[in-house]
Amino acid sequence: MNDSRNFLSGDEPETGNLDGNSIILSTRVALARNLANHKFPSSSTLDERTQIIRTVQNCMEGMDGLPEFHFHRLSRLTRVQRHMILDDYQIDEEFVSKLSGRALLLSPRLSLKDSAISILLCWDDHIRIQVSSQGSCIEEGYAVASKIEKLLESRLSFSFDKEWGYLTANPADLGTALEVSIMTHLPAIAISPEIADFIKNLTKVGCSISGFSGINSEIIGNLFMISSSKTLGKSEEEIVEEMQAICLNIIEEEENSRKKLVKKDLLGAKDNVYRSYGLLKYAKILSFDEALELLSILRLGLDLGIVEKTRDFDLFELINIISDSHVISNFEIEGPVSDDDIDLKRADLIREKVLEE
Amino acid sequence: MICDFCKKNKATIHLIRVQNDNVEKVNICAGCAEDFNFFSEDDFYKDLTKILYKIFKADEGQQNGIRELKNLKNIEIRKNRSCSFCGMDLENIRKLGKMGCPNCYREFKNILLPIIKAIHKNIEHRGKIPENTTGQIKLEKSIRDLKNRLNREIFVENFEEAARIRDEIRQLEKNIYE
Repeated sequence: MNDSRNFLSGDEPETGNLDGNSIILSTRVALARNLANHKFPSSSTLDERTQIIRTVQNCMEGMDGLPEFHFHRLSRLTRVQRHMILDDYQIDEEFVSKLSGRALLLSPRLSLKDSAISILLCWDDHIRIQVSSQGSCIEEGYAVASKIEKLLESRLSFSFDKEWGYLTANPADLGTALEVSIMTHLPAIAISPEIADFIKNLTKVGCSISGFSGINSEIIGNLFMISSSKTLGKSEEEIVEEMQAICLNIIEEEENSRKKLVKKDLLGAKDNVYRSYGLLKYAKILSFDEALELLSILRLGLDLGIVEKTRDFDLFELINIISDSHVISNFEIEGPVSDDDIDLKRADLIREKVLEE
Repeated sequence: MICDFCKKNKATIHLIRVQNDNVEKVNICAGCAEDFNFFSEDDFYKDLTKILYKIFKADEGQQNGIRELKNLKNIEIRKNRSCSFCGMDLENIRKLGKMGCPNCYREFKNILLPIIKAIHKNIEHRGKIPENTTGQIKLEKSIRDLKNRLNREIFVENFEEAARIRDEIRQLEKNIYE
């Protein structure tokens, strides 16, 4: 009874305590390098690629100051294992499309809070150092990637041009060959009329925008992956600083949109949040995409303080846990798995993690 | 009015930027403006907006027509050639959207230049250089870094530091020519 009175009174709820963590979900810093006087992976033979993998591996052996890395050949992993790695280490799916002559070095993590460090060998470029972390950790991420690069550089010679910087297979990465991406959760901007301007402004400052699962993917769950796309004519420090500034701007804009939303259509927002709540609570099967959409709205409801009977959850961690590969491995579903099996387990898992009984 | 930088000469250029309710003013004499390498002589007196754009690094916008150029798939091939190191030819580069090897950049430089310009709006590397590069390149890089810092100090109106950096740049430039 009390509930429903609150519901209709239109009192403005407190706009929760936002530290930006539910807006900037994760950060990924990637640094590409190629060995001098070698063909890029796309034009080299399997033998040549294997040789390059071996060269990099050898150079890393016994290197002081390098984090611990485990070596994986993609072709020797099962499909589920591969996808788990991709999810955990935020590696674009494109990487698993072709398997031969490619390798991965992964630094083991104790928990999801640790940053995930990976080195991709013979993808587009010979070496791609990736550091992905929870929240907004651009500077820290770059520091880690740059440290590894420096160590490798002490034993390997990278292809470099005085004018064009570090040479990469794709001319779009030339120069610093540094890409900073942030995964942002923008439920209020996404439904506001300002979304068009927001995207336009981001592209104006040289960012590219994509969906959750990498280049060219659709936007699902109000998750926008925003990446720095200019690598030539800027120093690494400038790219890092710019992306940090962009992060702050994004947080501010999303917060403003949330305030406006509460002011203009609180009842509508509540209605939406509780509809999502209802579906999450009672749906028997939930696809990954649908779960993401619903959880996004529920997270917004928590941030705005307009939903009850819900545990506080970290959207980034939860997304990780409910991905197909994690659901399969967690529940040790044996034999052939149907999509329905996974969707059923996923729905259970979300209820267990998020909704109070 | 006296120049904000050298505090000696008469300022002949006055720049004002109004953003929301913030007003920023810079007064510069012609000599300092030239020193700080704000703009080339060509567009010096041409157009104030242009100069303002340059100084405040204002957005030059997604200019029309650039978008189409942004992809290797649009390179113009008059005569197909292949790279002498990796054997990749222009047709294949266009098809894959990727270069074959570092040498491709050298051999197809002229064809790539407009595309690289369109993608990055810049054609000069300003980032880190390998540790093992020779002295000359390193020196040039430090000068570039200092010039960036100089611009930043000017932007926040820390003119004393700017003057100090300017002197440092002059010293380094001297070293290069000697």
